[in-house]
Amino acid sequence: MKRVINGRFLLRELLYSKKQAAIYILCVSLSLVSLIAVNSFKRDIDRSISGDARALHGGDIILHSHYDLSQGLQRAVVGLTEGKKATAVRTRAFYSVARKSDESGSLLCNIKVVENGYPLYGRVDLASGREFSQVVGAGKIVVGQGVLDRLGIVVGDQLLIGKSLFEIADVILYESAKPVRFFNIGPPVLVSYKDLAGMDLVKQGSRVAYETLLKMADATTVDTVAARLRERGLVGQERVETFRDAGSGIKHFFDNLLFFLSLISVCTLLLAGIGIESSLSAILRLKEKNFAIIRSFGATGAYLLRHYLLFVLILSAVGTALGIAVGLLVKGYLSVLLSDFLPPDIVFRASAADLSEGVVVGLMVVLFFTFLPLWRINNIKPAVIFRSESSRAKKSFTYYLCIVLGFSGLCVLLIRYLGEVSTGFYFLGGILLLLLLVTLMTRLILYFLSKIKWRRPGARLAMRSLLRPGNVTQSIVVTLAIPLALLLIIYLVENNLRGTYIDSFPADAPTLFCLDIQKNQQEAFLGLVGGKVTLHPVIRARLISINGKVVNRGRELKKRRDNLAREFNLTYRDALLEDEILVAGKRLFRKDEKGEPIIQVSLLDTVAEMGDMKLGDILQFNIQGVEMEVEVTSIRSRTRSMLYPFFYFIFPEKYLREAPQTYFAALHVESEEIPFLENRIVQGFPNISTINIAETAKEMGRMMQKLSKIVNFFAAFSILAGGLIIVSSILATRFERIKEAVYYKILGADSRFVLHIFFLENLLLGLLSSVFAIVMAQAAAWSLCHFFLGISYAPGWGACLGLVGLTIIFVVILGLLGSIPIIRKKPAQFLRQLN
Amino acid sequence: MLTCIGCSQEEEKELMVESNNDGEIIIVAVGDSLTAGYGVAEEESYPALLGKKLKSEGYNCRVVNSGVSAETSSGLLSRVGWVLGLNPDIVILETGANDGLRGIDPEMVEKNIRDILFRLKEAEVITVLAGMKMVWNLGPVYVKRFNGIYPRLADEFDVIFLPFFLKDVAMKSELALSDGLHPNGDGYKIIADNIYPYVLKAVIKKENL
Amino acid sequence: METLLETRDLSKLYSIGERKIQVLQSVSLTVQEGEFVVISGSSGSGKTTLLSLLSGLDRPSSGRIILDGQDITDLTEDQLAPVRNQLTGFVFQAFHLIPSLNSLENIMFPAELQGDQKAKEKAEQLLERVGLSQRSNNFPEQLSGGEKQRVAICRALINEPKIIFADEPTGNLDSENSDGIIELLRGIHQAQNATIVMATHNKAIAENADRIFHLHDGRLSVER
Repeated sequence: MKRVINGRFLLRELLYSKKQAAIYILCVSLSLVSLIAVNSFKRDIDRSISGDARALHGGDIILHSHYDLSQGLQRAVVGLTEGKKATAVRTRAFYSVARKSDESGSLLCNIKVVENGYPLYGRVDLASGREFSQVVGAGKIVVGQGVLDRLGIVVGDQLLIGKSLFEIADVILYESAKPVRFFNIGPPVLVSYKDLAGMDLVKQGSRVAYETLLKMADATTVDTVAARLRERGLVGQERVETFRDAGSGIKHFFDNLLFFLSLISVCTLLLAGIGIESSLSAILRLKEKNFAIIRSFGATGAYLLRHYLLFVLILSAVGTALGIAVGLLVKGYLSVLLSDFLPPDIVFRASAADLSEGVVVGLMVVLFFTFLPLWRINNIKPAVIFRSESSRAKKSFTYYLCIVLGFSGLCVLLIRYLGEVSTGFYFLGGILLLLLLVTLMTRLILYFLSKIKWRRPGARLAMRSLLRPGNVTQSIVVTLAIPLALLLIIYLVENNLRGTYIDSFPADAPTLFCLDIQKNQQEAFLGLVGGKVTLHPVIRARLISINGKVVNRGRELKKRRDNLAREFNLTYRDALLEDEILVAGKRLFRKDEKGEPIIQVSLLDTVAEMGDMKLGDILQFNIQGVEMEVEVTSIRSRTRSMLYPFFYFIFPEKYLREAPQTYFAALHVESEEIPFLENRIVQGFPNISTINIAETAKEMGRMMQKLSKIVNFFAAFSILAGGLIIVSSILATRFERIKEAVYYKILGADSRFVLHIFFLENLLLGLLSSVFAIVMAQAAAWSLCHFFLGISYAPGWGACLGLVGLTIIFVVILGLLGSIPIIRKKPAQFLRQLN
Repeated sequence: MLTCIGCSQEEEKELMVESNNDGEIIIVAVGDSLTAGYGVAEEESYPALLGKKLKSEGYNCRVVNSGVSAETSSGLLSRVGWVLGLNPDIVILETGANDGLRGIDPEMVEKNIRDILFRLKEAEVITVLAGMKMVWNLGPVYVKRFNGIYPRLADEFDVIFLPFFLKDVAMKSELALSDGLHPNGDGYKIIADNIYPYVLKAVIKKENL
Repeated sequence: METLLETRDLSKLYSIGERKIQVLQSVSLTVQEGEFVVISGSSGSGKTTLLSLLSGLDRPSSGRIILDGQDITDLTEDQLAPVRNQLTGFVFQAFHLIPSLNSLENIMFPAELQGDQKAKEKAEQLLERVGLSQRSNNFPEQLSGGEKQRVAICRALINEPKIIFADEPTGNLDSENSDGIIELLRGIHQAQNATIVMATHNKAIAENADRIFHLHDGRLSVER
């Protein structure tokens, strides 16, 4: 009876390779811990962000119209609420001029009439600390501080709105629900639905935003219910949105953030896989000769495969167990430890589901990434005993079948993490392309290096050792470059996300916008607001043609986003703003021989992209009746965004100075000062409209702070985990590289010489890997930012240089450390081991 | 109309101006987005429809669209000079809606429009004043004050007066864009038809000068 | 006496990059059961290659190998497994013990592969016979060269193969140990009438053989 498994042999093998096995176990458990942690955090953050989005929009589903809901939609909503499938709250929002009870003053306010139950999500904080629902009721309203400050009244006073007299019961400190449009002219007033009829403001001839907010009993039904409601709604009049797709500037940001988190999951998965693969490969490569010997006694390929598959599985199981143990161990402490770095509602849960998912995914990753190294065993021939180079694996049908199955498995995982089929495939395609590219590049560079005649003996020997037949240089470079690239991708994407969204909310962001400042009011206005404020001239004009080609208005107007057919705001100035950089053209404007600017225009990159415009193009504008042909002489880009004013088209001052214009100012004023300043402005210049965006800016700033924490933490976590994985795989490959040094010593080289060669070798490995990593990461991060996130891209070369430096230092130090025992010991000891 | 901030506004249309040849009457339609034709193709805006109608009736007129979306009466006042530079024979003046929607003091609006009318009168331009009525939700007091501006000024300057620019159009969902505010193509047809007799009156007055 | 091993026109070509090296050229030989055959030749003459082909560890570029009446030339790796396990034993110049297994376990290994219940007893007997009983728990690292080779010979013997191949078994040993190993192999040959094919460049060792072939530049000639 033949035994299927030789248990003693297996045990002996496990014990014998304990050093490499330990590294492999470390890799598996590290990978597992990072995977479990990343996924646990990701779900939490997903929940938290969804919560934020719900609070922002006030419901799971938002029905929006400028009229009462149509019969069909109304019936559908009633059906949902009666069937206990959803809770509904109606709101009516409109502007109205509120008056003091003695008619001595009035103010345009942003009135929102809300039904009982509001807010469904999020909260309304009142100055007194009382519950919103207990304060607002018949005859009682709550108002923003601006109402009191601007009208000079206090809580308890009365306010006339429409035909009703209200008592101001409290002050709104914070309201999470924000209108889709962030900019509101008046301060907020919240009124109970019971008072709607009494005010007599919502009727024929009123302009009102009618909203019905729905909170679903079962959150998973949101999308299907929304789709059903959408079918019932009147096209072009009624909008049905979910908290996820509601059209706010924030949506894009949330989407991007979630995508970034998925990206990190995927990168961690791949990093884990690469770590596992390279450390296992290292073990198996060291054993290659052993396999050949065993085969020479008549062991079948299946016998070897069986034993080493079990070998790997046992180690993986130990790694998994260790990973879970560590996961459970840190579970309690990690959240505490990281509480400074994490937003309050994010904790490391590591639930049973997380753990079991981690184990399943870990096992899949182990199987996928150990398949190739294990497959080699099957094909090792005893002849390897006599020759040092490894034999080429014979690839059978089964091999390809397994590859296909493995890839399908990986695809499923990627799609699961990225949440979308096409994205998963793009991602996989991108990775394969990069892999191919870096392999080709390595080959090419190694080929050229082999053609160079090196004069210095050290360099020559180092080169020989890297390029000797059967070398593993290429695979080392590839396995090092890919995880480095993944880490760099995470870093670069994080940096760009931060740059686009988070850093654009500095403490001195504008809090008050002033529109319609007239030409003759400039000085007086500046005197009133004090300080240095830039007044941007605004000249309305239309773009008629680009290079003689007339802008197709019909087509442009159908565009969902910004279009070229609308009226544009031109401005003039002769210098770049602080947050602008030139991306094309040498300077903002070209000058003629006399030093005067010719007639020309500078474009913002976004509008240039919109109309596919470039330097030298001739644009024809119609400035309220006067046509003007201008050449594009520069293209600008912005380094900040969101709340800062920006202009698509800038002209030299001399050509627009006389055109009809108003001025626009963005001021930074402390939020408690704003109402008083607004009052002064309105008193001095009744034509000027002010928009208080302090709340918006503060709220955005708060959210960005939170998100920046998340993004930073996540990136740091995965970079740390990835770094550890890389270090362990460098350690794993180290064993095979130190063999070379033995021979140098036998030949009589002194320690300095050995160190020298090792230094050169590792320098080259580090340099090649990090440079390839940068090339890959730049390409990938740019594509991600450009195609998936739709944000501008800054390459961050400083970080890239840092990466090169760090990698070289790491690789060289680890390499040199590995060579020290060789330098110390007598060569004979090593020779004995080699035999 | 009520769109603001930096440069995020929308709108449409183009025009051709320059000199006045062979007795052609130049009509300049000045105003905000309701004149500019926010959200519709240029040939659907009321000045374009009006020009077409006048032509088909045999009048030698050219209607120039000088609408600026989101403009208030203050903005319009500051560009009267620019408008007069177009050498208009007739001006159709439609403004104030954005002032009202922003709750600007009606006194201010009245003063601006008065100044505009005064400048037009000085330049001997025949003026058609389009009246505006404010949305009801701003409150009875404000609405009453605002709505009173136009008839009063029409009397004061003895201009041709269309009492309500959006007559038969306002607040009809089938005639408005999805914002519930700006007219759609069908809405503009009605506006053009409504305003036509008043413009005709101005044209005849011009021809009889 | 029966013919145990026969080759016809055996050739082996290695290609290293663009270069092709002819290591063996139409080698034909026969080995009778119970013979002690030596293949002599200088280093690099192709002895190791010839032995690896004869034992089925490598595949010839052309020609045929018939071992115990079976043509093994075209057998797959897995078909070769029982041949290597039971029909042949191989002693390497560099010993090639499995480093993770101790002496006893190294010897037992081939027997265990075929599920031999008596593997341990057999291995112990063999160790005793080569005088290494007290070393049975030692790992290869802890053995001297001569000890390693004696363990390796035991390993080659455990499944009582019909033919033993020994590739320069004394190549890595000093003369005292070499003599011991040769003595051992000769003893096995005489006691069990085992067939032995040994490659060596040592003339003195070759003296013990029934027949001597000489390999020079890949061509085989009969010396005695």
